[in-house]
Amino acid sequence: MALVRLLNQSVSQKLIAASNVSVTTVQLKSFTNAPLKDEDRIFTNLYGRHDWKLKGAMQRGDWHKTKEIVLKGHEWILQQIKESGLRGRGGAGFPTGLKWSFMNAPPDGRPKYLVVNADEGEPGTCKDREIMRHDPHKLIEGCLVAGRSMGARAAYIYIRGEFYNEASNLNLAIREAYDAGLIGKNACGSGYDFDVFVHRGAGAYICGEETSLIESLEGKQGKPRLKPPFPAAVGVFGCPTTVANVETVAVAPIICRRGPQWFAEFGRERNTGTKLFNISGHVKYPCTVEETMSIPMRELIERHCGGVIGGWDNLLCVIPGGSSTPLLPKHICDEVLMDFDALVEAQSGLGTAALIVMDKSTDVIRAIARLMEFYKHESCGQCTPCREGVSWMNDTLKRFQRGNADPDEIDSLWEISKQIEGHTICALGDGAAWPAQGLIRHMRPVLEERMKSFHDNKQKSTA
Amino acid sequence: MSTAGRISQVMKGVPMKPVMSANPVEARRRVLTLYKQWYRATPKIIEKFQLPYTVEKVHNRIREEFMKNSHVRDVRAIDLLVIKGQMDLQETIKMWKQPCHIKSYFHQETAVEVPTDFLGKFFTQKH
Amino acid sequence: MLRIATQKCCDQLPSRFLPFLSTKSGAAVATRRHQSTDDKVEVFVNDKPVYVKPGSTVLQACEIAGIQIPRFCYHDRLSVAGNCRMCLVEIEKSPKPQASCAMPVMKGMRIKPDSDVSKKAREGVMEFLLANHPLDCPICDQGGECDLQDQSMMFGSDRSRFLEHKRAVEDKNIGPLIKTIMTRCIQCTRCVRFADEVAGVSDLGTTGRGNDMQIGTYVEKMFKSEMSGNVIDICPVGALTSKPYAFTARPWETRKTETVDVMDAVGSNIVVSTRAGDVLRIIPRLHEDINEEWISDKTRFAYDGLKRQRLTQPMLRNKQGQLVTCLWEDALPFVAEKLSTTEGSKVAGIVGGFADAESLICLKDLLNHVDSEGLCTEELFITDGAGTDLRSNYLLNTTIAGVEEADLVLLIGTNPRFEAPLFNARLRKSWIHNELEVALVGSKVDLTYSYEHLGDSTTTLKQIADGTHPFSKRLKDAKNPMVVVGSEVFSREDAFGVHAAVSAIAQNATVTSQTNRGDGGADWKVLNILHKVASQVAALDLGYKPGVDHIRKNPPSLLFILGADGGAVTREDLPKDCCVVYIGSHGDVSAPFADVILPGAAYTEKPGTYVNTEGRAQQTQAAVSPPGSAREDWKIIRALSEISGMTLPYDDLEGVRSRMSEVSPNLTRYDAVESANYFKQAAELAKLAKPQLVSKPLQSSQLSLADFYMTDSISRASKTMAKCVKAANEGLTPDL
Repeated sequence: MALVRLLNQSVSQKLIAASNVSVTTVQLKSFTNAPLKDEDRIFTNLYGRHDWKLKGAMQRGDWHKTKEIVLKGHEWILQQIKESGLRGRGGAGFPTGLKWSFMNAPPDGRPKYLVVNADEGEPGTCKDREIMRHDPHKLIEGCLVAGRSMGARAAYIYIRGEFYNEASNLNLAIREAYDAGLIGKNACGSGYDFDVFVHRGAGAYICGEETSLIESLEGKQGKPRLKPPFPAAVGVFGCPTTVANVETVAVAPIICRRGPQWFAEFGRERNTGTKLFNISGHVKYPCTVEETMSIPMRELIERHCGGVIGGWDNLLCVIPGGSSTPLLPKHICDEVLMDFDALVEAQSGLGTAALIVMDKSTDVIRAIARLMEFYKHESCGQCTPCREGVSWMNDTLKRFQRGNADPDEIDSLWEISKQIEGHTICALGDGAAWPAQGLIRHMRPVLEERMKSFHDNKQKSTA
Repeated sequence: MSTAGRISQVMKGVPMKPVMSANPVEARRRVLTLYKQWYRATPKIIEKFQLPYTVEKVHNRIREEFMKNSHVRDVRAIDLLVIKGQMDLQETIKMWKQPCHIKSYFHQETAVEVPTDFLGKFFTQKH
Repeated sequence: MLRIATQKCCDQLPSRFLPFLSTKSGAAVATRRHQSTDDKVEVFVNDKPVYVKPGSTVLQACEIAGIQIPRFCYHDRLSVAGNCRMCLVEIEKSPKPQASCAMPVMKGMRIKPDSDVSKKAREGVMEFLLANHPLDCPICDQGGECDLQDQSMMFGSDRSRFLEHKRAVEDKNIGPLIKTIMTRCIQCTRCVRFADEVAGVSDLGTTGRGNDMQIGTYVEKMFKSEMSGNVIDICPVGALTSKPYAFTARPWETRKTETVDVMDAVGSNIVVSTRAGDVLRIIPRLHEDINEEWISDKTRFAYDGLKRQRLTQPMLRNKQGQLVTCLWEDALPFVAEKLSTTEGSKVAGIVGGFADAESLICLKDLLNHVDSEGLCTEELFITDGAGTDLRSNYLLNTTIAGVEEADLVLLIGTNPRFEAPLFNARLRKSWIHNELEVALVGSKVDLTYSYEHLGDSTTTLKQIADGTHPFSKRLKDAKNPMVVVGSEVFSREDAFGVHAAVSAIAQNATVTSQTNRGDGGADWKVLNILHKVASQVAALDLGYKPGVDHIRKNPPSLLFILGADGGAVTREDLPKDCCVVYIGSHGDVSAPFADVILPGAAYTEKPGTYVNTEGRAQQTQAAVSPPGSAREDWKIIRALSEISGMTLPYDDLEGVRSRMSEVSPNLTRYDAVESANYFKQAAELAKLAKPQLVSKPLQSSQLSLADFYMTDSISRASKTMAKCVKAANEGLTPDL
């Protein structure tokens, strides 16, 4: 099991007593690489060892002084979020405070909505479901705080259809919150009216894209919309909307409670806070774990997952941020830090921070080909480059897997992936192109070797 | 004063430079010569182009063509017509022309008279 | 719900957030709203400054700069989908190329449509489009007029890298009009958007995801729209083609004649493609004020009726009572003899829906010459009150384009969807973009938009007229109201009563709307008559009597029927010894009981003048020659006049037309709508004549799609239309 120690209740309570809810200026301290202390963990019931219902959640500090936070008003909350340096946890890493502040355009009579993207479908990613099934109140409280910060009338939580248990836990938690007067009319006694609705998806990866999520929520086919207009102008039911990831929303209340500079202590500048990492693949103990941002990848894997199977030297490559990010070979993994900027520098991305670790037993071409099949299946088919290009890449990679191709075709595949990237309405096209690009960038010798041996075998069998 | 005007004034009184013939008598002689040449060539033309016409008929047709210009009195104009007639004759004898070119001289007789009144047009044509 | 949501955004947002508003369909709206702010935005296309209206798209800005951006999914009159990605252009300071059809212009934007990035993006998209396209151009009906073909020549790469298997898609059967070859589809969704937005029939949609996405009806069914054929024109590839036209001709082989449609009273502008004297197909021609770029299915597909059931030879009834073919030289003197021996009061004429103004004036002059006043139109109208003396009484005064300014429409006794599909399309367009509200007194029908049904009783009309009906209040509050009466109400015994009630309603609304608008001007006209047949307005302009009452009251001995096949007069209505002369193109209802048949030309075979329901004179052109010995109708009458010794004083088209303009000058002012404006006087005259209403409900005869297809002699002769009726009634048969 991962080397994660959990907070006990007394620690948790002490911590909350010490927390303050005052405005302070943030000084970004220089980055240190110390492991995250238990008292600094936000998701204290990540593994479901405690009561996930309201009583347990309140014991862990949720819903503590929420009324006061709400009463401080939207500007104060936005200020806290901005100062904390929180960046969106859904993959793109857009500064959250800035995004939420877009909602504060002068009112025009339309209601505003918060939509929580709980359609966690990225292969390798399993952070939001842990929050929803074991800490649903964090999310609901987050909805209220985030909703208040943008003056939203209600929150829609669009939950992935396959998350049956998560949806029922969430529904139960919402019912509890309504019954306790925490949300609904006069939420937490603050005088602010706020509703939370749960909408279950029907199993389409593309519905995790914000505009197609909105379409799906409206009851249409989940196909991304053109931007502009951005959802902050015309979103769900034609009203201003912000779509935010579960984790982003869930950390908002604690930032407000413990102060932004506490949150900003973790990680490097511009990459602050703690983050849920999901490590899967060829590690001894695959796990979901909360760690500081900017933790070195090697340390993350070795501290929490018992290391790569067969030792670090047995590592072939890591996909660092969910299936959509390009893979990184071992020599980059040795040094790379797990944060937005460091991974972009390494020509990959943090994405959802879902590491897929592959050791040397992996057929990496097959792995990427399988990912491509996923993207082919999940492309909505609306715009040309993604619809035609991804299935083309899929067919090509299938042949690459057997080696039945010409080395020139590697360049051709590279170009096709470049023709898709950036030419589509939503980011699915990019997400499908990147794994192929990562494969070509770092594993070209493997591809060429496979082709050579295929042609050799063919010659042998004909001879 | 325009250029054309200047020239005509300059030319006034100055005898025109003849094309070939100096006077109408000479011009007449040239015409008759050409006429005889055509007459003599007629049997050959009929044979070469395999025309379905008698010599007499072709003679008549040639005569018609000459008579078309019988009103021309200007010596220079007559000379030019003679030159053109000679060119025509050469093209015919050397078979630079096609049979259809020759035959087109005889086609008037197959042309149908087109009605010009409303009823006539109504009964015969769609438009 | 959806409409409300969309509409809300329209009201509350600057239009730059809603690219679909700035498309041409919404342009009228947009211009009206922005009239005060004339300031334009400066953008740079290839470093050249261009000034465009705020809210325009990058694509429109490039078009103003004279640069054509390739596109597939974008269509002027449909909402923006932005999914084909063909129109990607580089914009400075934007990290990736943007879809120009959806991107609103911003001040100082630098657009680079000819940069390497733009070119590369287009080439890439084109390669993807062609990857799964079958490239069966040699057997594709779209060949020669295919956007994909043209644009791949212009913008595509010169070779293919695609080594995989191509996708194949099963063809769909969506009715007898549209042939689908779905493998060719590039999923631009123009057809889906057309069906949803313009036709108002959400029959088409997309199923499946990714590369398996298909356009179709989900379950096999007919695309049940009266305007379905337009998807053939908007399909940029050969996925949707015309079934009757399949494998008939290439566009470069045909001769195109720009002419006007006469299948309804709207007068859609069309292009007739012909080859060797055959009409091969009919496609729409742009006319912003009438049909935009759409035409109805009857207009488009009834052309095969021009080749069947045609009268090609003059015929005379022999002693055995059989019609036998003869020569013009026999038939005309026979009629001329009858004409000169019959007393003038015993001569009469009925004209049908396809009669052009030229033949109308000839027939009128001829019959007037023999002192006959029995000139009737088959279609009915009122004769009491102001009757047809005031033009405003029988025109669609607001005009078709005027619908876009209206805010409230009251339809009475009509089903515009089938009586005038393009008028209905305008109503729908206005309903979507301008919050137009519609109410209907008459049969409850599906109009493709929601409306308030006020019942079908004449009492309702009376109540609205005297202001006791709740709807009167709304009519009173409207700024630009319209009252539209279907011509079918005039076949009622209380036609005059209905017309008087409607005039009263319209007159009241005219007064209140002037105060509501606060302009005091009288340029907004409320009263509208929606005719069903193409000839009616011209006939009334020329002084024909509406309806055949006159003939019933004064049984004629010699009756001329000019293409009247509506069955208004049958043999039983006429005296035994009456000689019936039929002049027309089709052997349909009236020709069988005629004693003499003089074969005329159909609308594709003659230059003729038709006045549409708005009062707009337009002319048809001869695309082909009349078949056999058939002649242009006016010439037949002119020849007859000469033989009977009372020669009409004109013998060519110019002559006829100058005579026409003597009688009614508007008939030769082509494409101009002559406004008519004596509503008040008409309403007062109507009051004097004491109109009565009976309690019979107001109904329309065309209730469902099956009623739409075969309504006149041409469409009744059309095989295609017969198939449509069958499909609409019984569902699809697999082998069509």
